[in-house]
Amino acid sequence: MSTVSQLSQTEELPFYEPQGDEVELFMHAYEHKLPVLIKGPTGCGKTRFISYMADKLGLPLYTVACHDDLSASDLVGRHLIGDGATVWSDGPLTRAVREGGICYLDEVVEARKDTTVVIHPLTDDRRILPIDRTGETLHAPDNFMLVVSYNPGYQNLLKGMKPSTRQRFLSMSFDYLLPEAEVEVLLNETSIEKAMAERLVVLANTLRELKDQDLEEGASTRLLVYTATLISTGFDPVKACRAGMIEPLSDDPDTVIGLMELVQAAFGSSEQE
Amino acid sequence: MEEHVGQVWDRFITKIANQGYPEAAVTLDQVKTPLGVFYRALGGDSALRITATTATLHKARRSWLHKVAGTGKKVELAWQDEICLYLPAQLDLFPDAQLNRDLYFWLAAMAGTPVPAQTHRNLNWIVDNQQRTSKTLQKYRGLHQRYQRLVRAFIALRPDPVKLKPEIAAQEQAIQQALIDPGSITELPEARFAPEPVPLWLHPNPPHNGGLSSSNETKDRNASKGETRQAEQRRRQAERVDKPDEQGANLGVRHEADLFSFAEFCKMDRSTEEEDDLDQAEGIANDIDKMSVTQDNTTVASRIKFDLDLPSEEEDDIPLNEGILYPEWDYKKNIMLRDYCQIIPMMSRKAVDCELPVHLQKPARRLRRQFESLAARPQWIRGQYEGDKLDLDAYLDFRGSASSNGSANSGDPRLYYQKRPLVRDMACLLLADLSLSTDAWVNDKQQVVDVIRDSVHLFAESLHASGDQFAIHGFSSRRRQHVRFNCIKDFHESYNAKIRGRIADISPGFYTRMGAAIRHATDLLGKQSAQKKLLLLLTDGKPNDLDRYEGRHGVEDTRKAILEARNQGLIPFCITIDEEANQYLPYLFGRQGYTFIRQAEQLPKRLPQLYMTLTGKLLGS
Repeated sequence: MSTVSQLSQTEELPFYEPQGDEVELFMHAYEHKLPVLIKGPTGCGKTRFISYMADKLGLPLYTVACHDDLSASDLVGRHLIGDGATVWSDGPLTRAVREGGICYLDEVVEARKDTTVVIHPLTDDRRILPIDRTGETLHAPDNFMLVVSYNPGYQNLLKGMKPSTRQRFLSMSFDYLLPEAEVEVLLNETSIEKAMAERLVVLANTLRELKDQDLEEGASTRLLVYTATLISTGFDPVKACRAGMIEPLSDDPDTVIGLMELVQAAFGSSEQE
Repeated sequence: MEEHVGQVWDRFITKIANQGYPEAAVTLDQVKTPLGVFYRALGGDSALRITATTATLHKARRSWLHKVAGTGKKVELAWQDEICLYLPAQLDLFPDAQLNRDLYFWLAAMAGTPVPAQTHRNLNWIVDNQQRTSKTLQKYRGLHQRYQRLVRAFIALRPDPVKLKPEIAAQEQAIQQALIDPGSITELPEARFAPEPVPLWLHPNPPHNGGLSSSNETKDRNASKGETRQAEQRRRQAERVDKPDEQGANLGVRHEADLFSFAEFCKMDRSTEEEDDLDQAEGIANDIDKMSVTQDNTTVASRIKFDLDLPSEEEDDIPLNEGILYPEWDYKKNIMLRDYCQIIPMMSRKAVDCELPVHLQKPARRLRRQFESLAARPQWIRGQYEGDKLDLDAYLDFRGSASSNGSANSGDPRLYYQKRPLVRDMACLLLADLSLSTDAWVNDKQQVVDVIRDSVHLFAESLHASGDQFAIHGFSSRRRQHVRFNCIKDFHESYNAKIRGRIADISPGFYTRMGAAIRHATDLLGKQSAQKKLLLLLTDGKPNDLDRYEGRHGVEDTRKAILEARNQGLIPFCITIDEEANQYLPYLFGRQGYTFIRQAEQLPKRLPQLYMTLTGKLLGS
C-alpha cells in the first residue's frame, strides 16, 4: 500500500518529460512549504513526475496508493502487539513528517473521509500532525511536503473531492503529453523505433478522442509504454496493440472490433496475403 | 396466371442481371456498431448517426440485361451530411464476404478522415475522391494493403476498356487509373454517359437536404400512431421544394432527365393513411427518387399533427406559476440562447386519491420488503463505549496508551463495535418523458404510457420504503414557450394516496423538449442537500419538438443540459426503451450513463432494481 523510495545519489534521475512549467511550480511550492494537488487522467505521468521531483530535490518519497478502505490510522499509524506489550508503529504520513520528505497520496479521493482530519492541519500554515492516539503533536520540518493526486474523470460518477479540502492545495493539472513529447517518452522508455513510436502515439490520440462516448477513458501513456515494450521485443504490432491498448480500454465486443479495425488501419493487417 | 408468369420472369431476369454476389453479402446491421466506433475514431463527427442510404439514380450506360430486367438504374453509394453517415444497407459487390466487409470500413474511413474544408463542395467528384483516398491512405498506412486488395478485386469487375467505345474507354481508363494511383487524374474525360458508379468512392452528387431529418420525423409519427415500422428505415431523398404558388405552376409532375424515373410532388397526408396504404406508400416511395415535402410557414410536423391543440383552460392541469425561463443551446452558432424556453410547472387537476392498482400490489409488496432491508441495512460503527464485539484496534490503542503513560486506563475506553442502521444520504429525481410517442403500443394490452405509469408506481413504492428522498416529475412540450413540467411528487411531499392519484392520472402529452426539462430538474435537485443526487431520466425516444428542436439541434441541446447537470455535481442517468438508443445516447450520457431495456413491459420491475444497483454503486457499498 505504501512504499518508501530513496535513490542513492549516484543513480541518475528517472526520465521525465515536462509538460509545461510544472517542475518550476513544484520547486517554488516546496520552497514555500505549500502542499500540492495534481489532477489528471490515468497514466499521464503524475506518479512519475513526483518521483522525478523527489529525486531532483533529494527527498525520500512516501507513496500511499489510496483505496476505499484506507483510514486515518493507516496514514498516521497504530498500536501493534509486540513482545508482551503494544508497540506504536508510525504510518507513512507520520514517518514523512518525522523524517522529512514528500508524502504522496495517490488517488486521494478514494480514501475514507476520516483521512481529511489528518490532512487538513498539515496543509495550512500550522503544518502540524496531531496524533491523538499517542498524544503527540508533530510539527512538520521544512523539508516535508504533502502531495495528493486525483483523477477528475471519475469524480462525478463516484466520489468527489470536497471543496474545503481542494482549496488547501496549490493545484496543477496534467494532461496527456503533446505527440512529439510522447514519442520522446516512448523512445526513452523502450527501444522502439521512432517511426513505430510515432504511429503508436497517433493511434493513442485517436483513442483519446473517443473518451466519454465509446470509451470511459483514453489510452494512457503507461499503456503506450507497455505496448511499445511488446513491439520493441519483436511482438506483432497489431496483437501488441490489442493486448496493450484496446482490450484494457473496453469490454464491449463491438467496440473492440471497431477499434481493432482502427489498429489494422494504422498498422496493416497481421494476416499475410 | 399472367401475373404469376410475370413474377417468375421478373425474379429470373432480376437475378441474372444482378451483378452482385448475394451469398457473400454483408449487411450494414452486422457491422454497424464496430463501424460507428471506427468512424468516430478516425475523426468522424461523433454526433452523426450511421444509417442506410437509398439507392440513387446514376446516369451510366446500362447493359441490355439490366434494361430488360428494369434494374440497374439506381445504385447505393455512401455519403454524409450533418446528421447522418449514409452507407448502403447491404454490400454484395464482391464474391468474398471479407472484401464486402472491408469495403464498409473503407467507406467509413474515407468519410471519417477529415479533409480541408470546402474541398468537397467545389472540386469535382473524381478529384475530390482521389484526394480523400490519398489523405486516408497517408494517415492510415495500414489501410494500403486493404485498399489495394479492394481495388484489384474491383477493377476485375469493371468493364475492360479495350472492349468499350473509345470515349467511354477513355473515361473508364481514367477512373481505373485514379483508383490504382490516387491523385494522378485531374479531370474526367467527357463522354455521353456518366461513368459507371464507383462504390469505392463517395457519392458524386449527394442528395442535399435542408437540415431536416425526415426519417426521424417519420419514425416518431409512426410511433405515435402505435405502429413501429422498423423495416422502413431507408432514407428518402427528401428534398424541400417551394410550395407551388396558388396561381402559378401547379404542375404535379416534373420530368427528370431519365425517362424511366419520375419525381413527383406528392402531397400526402400521411397521418390518415391506413396500415395497408402505408405499405403501398412505402413501395411508391421506393420508386420515387425524390420525395418532396413542402415547407410553408408552418412546419410540416405541425400540419400533420393537427390534433395537438392544447386542452382548454378549464380542462387542463393547473399551472403552478407563471413559468420559468431557461436557456437553450444552439450548436450551429455555438451560443446559449438566453431565456429561450419556458417551463410551466403543472399539477394534475383531475387526480383523485387512490390506492395502488391491483395488478401491482404483489410486486410492490416484494419490492417494499427489498427496499426496507436496504434502508435498515446495519453498519458496524467502531470505537463505541458499548457494542456487540470488541474493536481490536481500539483495544490495542487503549492498552498502548495506558502502558506508555504509565498509568492504567487513562485513555477513553471506547473499545466496541456497534451495529447501527446505515443512513443513506441520497436524493433522486425521476423525470419521466410523457410525450405523445408514449401513446404507442408495447403489446396487445399495454401502451408505453401504461408501462411508464406502472413503473412510476413501483418506483415510488420502493423509494418510499427505502427512505431516500425522492421526487417524480413528468414533462412534455409544445414548442419552446410551453414546456409542461408535471409535478407528480415534490421532494417535500410525503408519499400517500394523493400522490398515487397523480401517478394514475399520468397521460401522454406532446413532444420531448428534453433540454429545458433537464435544466429545470437540475435546478430542483440541486437545491436538495443530500450527498449524492441522482437525476433519472425515463424516456422512449430522442429529443424532439415541433420547431427546429429535432435531429441534431435537440441532441446537442440535451447534451449541453446533461453536462451542466454533471457540473453541478448531479449524476444523470437515462433509462430508455428506444431500440435505437445506442445511436445517440452514448453521445448524451456516455457509455456508462444509460441503460436500454429491450422489453418495455419489463420496465416496471427493472426500474427499482436499477435504482438499487445504481445507488449501491454510488454510495460505495
